Amino acid sequence: MTTRQSRIFAVAATALSALLFMVLTVDSHRQFQELTQSQNLTPEIIHGKDVWHKYNCINCHTLFGEGAYYAPDLTKITQHRGEAYLQAYMRDPSNFYDEQKHRRLMPTQDLSEKEITDLILFLDWVANIDNQGWPPRPILVTGGFAATAASAATGDRDAAPPGTTPVGDDDDSRAKGQYLFNTAVPSCSACHSTQPGADMAGPTMAGLVARTEELLASGDYQGEATDVAGYIRESIVTPSAHVVPGAMYSAGGTSFMPNTYRDSLSEEQIDNLVDYLMTLK
Amino acid sequence: MRYKSQSVAYWYFAVAMVLFGLQLVFGLLSAAKYLGPDPLLYILPFDVTKVIHTNLLIVWVLCGFMGGTYWLIPDESRSELHSTKLAYIQLVLWTIMGVTAIIGYLFRYGTGNKLLEQPLPHKIVIVICMLIFLYNIGMTIRKSGRFTTTEGVLLLGLLSSAVLFLPALLHYENYTVSIYYRWWTIHLWVEGVWMMIMGAFLAYLLIRLSGADREVMEKWLYVIVGLVFIAGILGTAHHYYWVGVPAYWLPLGGFFSALEPAALVGMAMMAYGAIRRSGLAHPNALALHWTVGSALFAMFGAGLLGLAHTFPSINKWTHGTLITAMHGHAAFYGAYAMIILAMISYALPQMCPSRPDKGTSLGYWAFWMQMAGMFGMTLSFATAGIGQVYLERVMGMGYLDAQLKIQVHFLMLIATASLFATGVGLYIYDFFRFRPVFDQAVEPAAPGADPADNREPVRGSV
Repeated sequence: MTTRQSRIFAVAATALSALLFMVLTVDSHRQFQELTQSQNLTPEIIHGKDVWHKYNCINCHTLFGEGAYYAPDLTKITQHRGEAYLQAYMRDPSNFYDEQKHRRLMPTQDLSEKEITDLILFLDWVANIDNQGWPPRPILVTGGFAATAASAATGDRDAAPPGTTPVGDDDDSRAKGQYLFNTAVPSCSACHSTQPGADMAGPTMAGLVARTEELLASGDYQGEATDVAGYIRESIVTPSAHVVPGAMYSAGGTSFMPNTYRDSLSEEQIDNLVDYLMTLK
Repeated sequence: MRYKSQSVAYWYFAVAMVLFGLQLVFGLLSAAKYLGPDPLLYILPFDVTKVIHTNLLIVWVLCGFMGGTYWLIPDESRSELHSTKLAYIQLVLWTIMGVTAIIGYLFRYGTGNKLLEQPLPHKIVIVICMLIFLYNIGMTIRKSGRFTTTEGVLLLGLLSSAVLFLPALLHYENYTVSIYYRWWTIHLWVEGVWMMIMGAFLAYLLIRLSGADREVMEKWLYVIVGLVFIAGILGTAHHYYWVGVPAYWLPLGGFFSALEPAALVGMAMMAYGAIRRSGLAHPNALALHWTVGSALFAMFGAGLLGLAHTFPSINKWTHGTLITAMHGHAAFYGAYAMIILAMISYALPQMCPSRPDKGTSLGYWAFWMQMAGMFGMTLSFATAGIGQVYLERVMGMGYLDAQLKIQVHFLMLIATASLFATGVGLYIYDFFRFRPVFDQAVEPAAPGADPADNREPVRGSV
């Protein structure tokens, strides 16, 4: 290759690549609105984005996997934690995690209530952006080996995530319930373990039946259920009917558990879940 | 030192050295926080130490590039710089910008946009510095009337750096769009135009150190530039994975970033070929260590380790884990820190007459300790990252619990980072140990040591 040829190669390669890149940029702009649902960008969400920048969140956390690797990814956080939880968390993270146990803790940021609300709106907008289904399996903040996947909600046996037992229509209701426990969105297992003593963002489900029997007999119970199954159903449908004591579980009588299952799960699915949870004596 | 005005390079290098040292202080602090618990949680939290760590890198590397260019241009154009006064004004502005930005970060004064955290006034000063710089270099070349290919590539690289900084000055309401344009600056700097700067430095050093034929070197340089841009421009796609852009960026990223190592392999081949064919034609063997080391370490860190997680089917598991930190550290160090350390090692004996030409033994200690340290750091990030990917991403263990399981790798990180920092400490001490003398032109050590000057240059433009 002569110098002249190598020069032509350099110039042509650069020009062609740049041209193609510009064409794709124009096309990407055409699609941004649909992919990011930018018509939903309210002034509050844009303010939430400014809050995200103002407090330098990206130099510990990641969003879309971009940022620093010192704190959890928050791309889908609003699908794992309800708004009430996130608000209480932002007011004082030390109520939720123990620095001695996890060896790191988020410093309290002193955000105003407006900043917290808008930040959560922004994160919720982010969670709904079409980003080719990433992450392929939910990235949890804490907890162990909860096998979950958004794609598994289809109930397709072949698509079942590792660690879950696939179910079909004629399987036992309790088996379907266990599958739902790991695969509902947000998944129950993101916050509740089934190991004794392993409380995560929500209390452990181990010993649920025995605990509930004690609760119903004690007179401390605030809800309307009369038996254990009724209590479990009530907790799924209206989480705040009775709250388990603890600053990390509720604030002002409102449970941090998402109250969206009433709409996102069918009657039959709720029955399955109750049947499964009734097995956790 | 042939030309008196080359002495400005010394002060650029001196500032770069101090900032490099400071960068490591904040890097070590950040690493310690991975072990935790953090006694400085409310004084100097992780986000602050991390933003200072990465920003000092950008400031000192660019400072080194500018110093290296002020050293190279008079040699290549055989002329004094257009204005040393402008060069000093630029350095003072740059240093003030860098230092005040760092102080601002301590108080969370910044944009909170990854790697572009500099507040707007600072960004404007960066643009002003770049304009002064380009003007000064451009005028020098114009006045001398001698414009080599190496200079052409270098100049185009610097000019594009300035142009690509412009999207960073704008404000975007849509977070995805803001990510889209942030990579125009960051990626196209790091994997595009900075590579041109590196290639030009490499060609200059190889011509001087090995006596390699200028025509051959410059031909290689064109090929490398072509490869850098084929892979680099469309390779931006690998930063567009999973951020809310159209899906066609996924296969594009996989294909074009797989080509990225080609340019780095090209540079390593250029270095190896030059040494094999021409041998060492200059007494400064230490500078040669850094030069060849840079080409090889860049191939390993930027090329191989980048390739390791660039395919979408792998990246969907590794994206946003410590695997990225593994690649980032080895790539930046190999491609950019080392090429600047090579330039400094080459230039220094010519500015400090009492310094031995072949390099000091302390200089060799610094080289090998940094090599071992950075290799160890890369392995620590890699092992931590692999553990993280399997526990957290594949098995579904919670982030905080997975981080606890990989603590041992953070211990290894701190140990190897301490070794690396000691090597850098020695380099910095060795830098300031000998006084520079600028009032007389210092002849090169051996007669005819700069074979490049004895050959007719190839005129060219890019």
